Amino acid sequence: MTTKTKLILIGILTLIVAVLAYPKEDSLLHKIGFKHSHLQVREGLDLQGGAHLVYQADLTQTKASDQAAAMASLKDVITKRVNSVGTSETNVQQLGSDKIIVELPGVTDVTAAENLIGQTANLVFLEIDPKTQGASDTGISGKDVQKATADFDPQSGQPIVTLQMKSGDSTKRFGQVTTRINQTGTQLLTLLDQDPIFGPATVSSPITDGKAQLSGNFDVKTAKRIAQLINAGALPVPIHPVQQQTVGPTLGRESVRHSLVAGVIGLGVVALFMIMYYRLAGVVAVAALGIYTALTLTIYKLSAFTPYGIVLTLAGIAGFILSIGMAVDANILIFERMKEELRAGKSFVAAVEAGFDRAWPSIRDSNVSTLITCVILYSFSSSIPIIRGFAVTLGLGVVISMFTAVVVSRTFLRGIIMTKVGKNPKLYGLKLEESPK
Amino acid sequence: MNIIGRRRIWYSISLAVILPGLISLVVFHLKLGIDFKGGSLLEIQGGGNASAITAQAKTLGFQDVTVTSGSGEHLLIRYRDPGSPDQAEARHKEFKAALATTGLSEISYSTIGSSVSRDITRNALLAIAAASFAIVCYVAFAFRNAPPPVSPWSFGVTAIIALLHDAFFVLGVFSLLGHFFGIEVDALFVTAVLTVIGFSVHDTIVVFDRIRENLRRERASFETVVNDSILETFARSINTSLTVLLTLLALFLFGGESIRYFVLALLVGVASGTYSSIFNASPLLVSWHNYKLKRAKARP
Repeated sequence: MTTKTKLILIGILTLIVAVLAYPKEDSLLHKIGFKHSHLQVREGLDLQGGAHLVYQADLTQTKASDQAAAMASLKDVITKRVNSVGTSETNVQQLGSDKIIVELPGVTDVTAAENLIGQTANLVFLEIDPKTQGASDTGISGKDVQKATADFDPQSGQPIVTLQMKSGDSTKRFGQVTTRINQTGTQLLTLLDQDPIFGPATVSSPITDGKAQLSGNFDVKTAKRIAQLINAGALPVPIHPVQQQTVGPTLGRESVRHSLVAGVIGLGVVALFMIMYYRLAGVVAVAALGIYTALTLTIYKLSAFTPYGIVLTLAGIAGFILSIGMAVDANILIFERMKEELRAGKSFVAAVEAGFDRAWPSIRDSNVSTLITCVILYSFSSSIPIIRGFAVTLGLGVVISMFTAVVVSRTFLRGIIMTKVGKNPKLYGLKLEESPK
Repeated sequence: MNIIGRRRIWYSISLAVILPGLISLVVFHLKLGIDFKGGSLLEIQGGGNASAITAQAKTLGFQDVTVTSGSGEHLLIRYRDPGSPDQAEARHKEFKAALATTGLSEISYSTIGSSVSRDITRNALLAIAAASFAIVCYVAFAFRNAPPPVSPWSFGVTAIIALLHDAFFVLGVFSLLGHFFGIEVDALFVTAVLTVIGFSVHDTIVVFDRIRENLRRERASFETVVNDSILETFARSINTSLTVLLTLLALFLFGGESIRYFVLALLVGVASGTYSSIFNASPLLVSWHNYKLKRAKARP
């Protein structure tokens, strides 16, 4: 590839990332025909305010072989419950082998959230009158269910959920209700946590053995999940809160504003320093730094569409700002080498190439050692999200900065030395007596 | 400039700077925050009367109550709830309501149970140990082709000594800050120490890389080669640190309150890392080399 082609490609890349990184990119994208595009850097709880809760599951009464399944259904039950509150972007995650993290952005009343998480799964059977659409409670609930199983309908092959009522009173009452529904021509509706999972449907014959079949139009996965939730009834294992954090929305906003100001000032001071010290090469570094920043922000925004969405926290912003410093380091290493080669009397073309080649081992080794630190931070910090955020942004920054320093800066310098102005040694901070011949 | 020839001076400066912190570490330890020992931290808005708040907290049965002023009108209240974690939220709510009657509103709250904080402490120590070990191995691997007279492992080991220098400097400074100003270390502090470790090695490797390159070309004595290498990379070391320190300074002065001490730890560590990569790591290579020579000569 010629330098010219590379410059054009970098130009195109710059244009794309500049548009995507722009804070109001949706209005820009709208103008060129993309509708409904809304990209956003996902903010952590410490930035947007909200509650972060960690629960410890008490697995002492659970057999070792059942613990993983118990944790999975615990996570399911809690997810369902927090989602029913209707706040967006809630996040429930398993932490280690026996903890659950619940993140509720925008929720500052932890007590309300805690009450909700502590509730039992709510299975309700309603009797519906098809004429009036009026619903009445049958008095039968999840508490009457002994066991739920995901199964297949022997006739249609459709996934179904079968329920076994508790023997005795529960089975008897269920028999009475179904008998009544069967005779009066009303319908049975089954709700799980307020969502209809079966019916409303007529009951073809009274069910006196306590065995009910729920056949909604669900797939195998849904059937299994429903069975799991009903079985969970109450939470499958007792849980205790062990960690809690709430951040007021104003505090979070303040932190974002402060950090952004710090970032802009930091970038500005570094740019000024680079241009004053390395002159024309400094301008190249600043351009590369600009592309670096836009590229990084674009990746933050686009990562939200992948399973590895980056959530920006205050520590993450610090990692990003620190990575700016490291991005500049690669440029400094290259420019210092280039100046040495120029002093030694090499031509501009030779000096640029030698500068990059000689600086590369240092850039590679020093950045790999930082990446090692990031990987270790990431893997040891599953219980410390604040550290995880820092490791991700710093690591990503190191990788992207290697690209911008080695590809973008190099191409720019190659382009510049092709021009007449670009061959003036004074523009690189060299004294005249050090000029190349 | 002869940096290597004056290496005793640089070692003495390092010792003089690190020793007070080390003594403080042994005598006072670090002042651990709730991340490491469990407890609750509450930030409230509106200046309140510290002793009245403390009294209020104590009536609820909270222990180890301390009230300190944060930035501006903010107050930080730390306490430990000796009761069961299941009821802690109810007691916190009661406390919040009591504070609200005196016009104080809560802006952030965090609480960590002691079992979680034990996990965090263990993971933090493991992370630091694992990172140091991985870095020695990587440096030794990266310098596996280094020409004689130095072995790849001596590059790794001297890099680690420089790294420990920086880590202990930061720990010492925060031990002193903890004792005299009540500044606590939290999980974020571990991040800062690990970053300092990473940065320290980053810096040291650049100088080592030049030594490796010059050893292949120059026919001068080892001392001269190392000294030349330090001088040749001097401008880069200073300029890089300057840009990192400038961004950190911006964060320190204008960044969010909650990361202020984290940034301070990074500032202190990065400055120390620059010093150690120039004045400790490479001179130590020479000291080590000379020591080995002396031993070899002493042998019959």
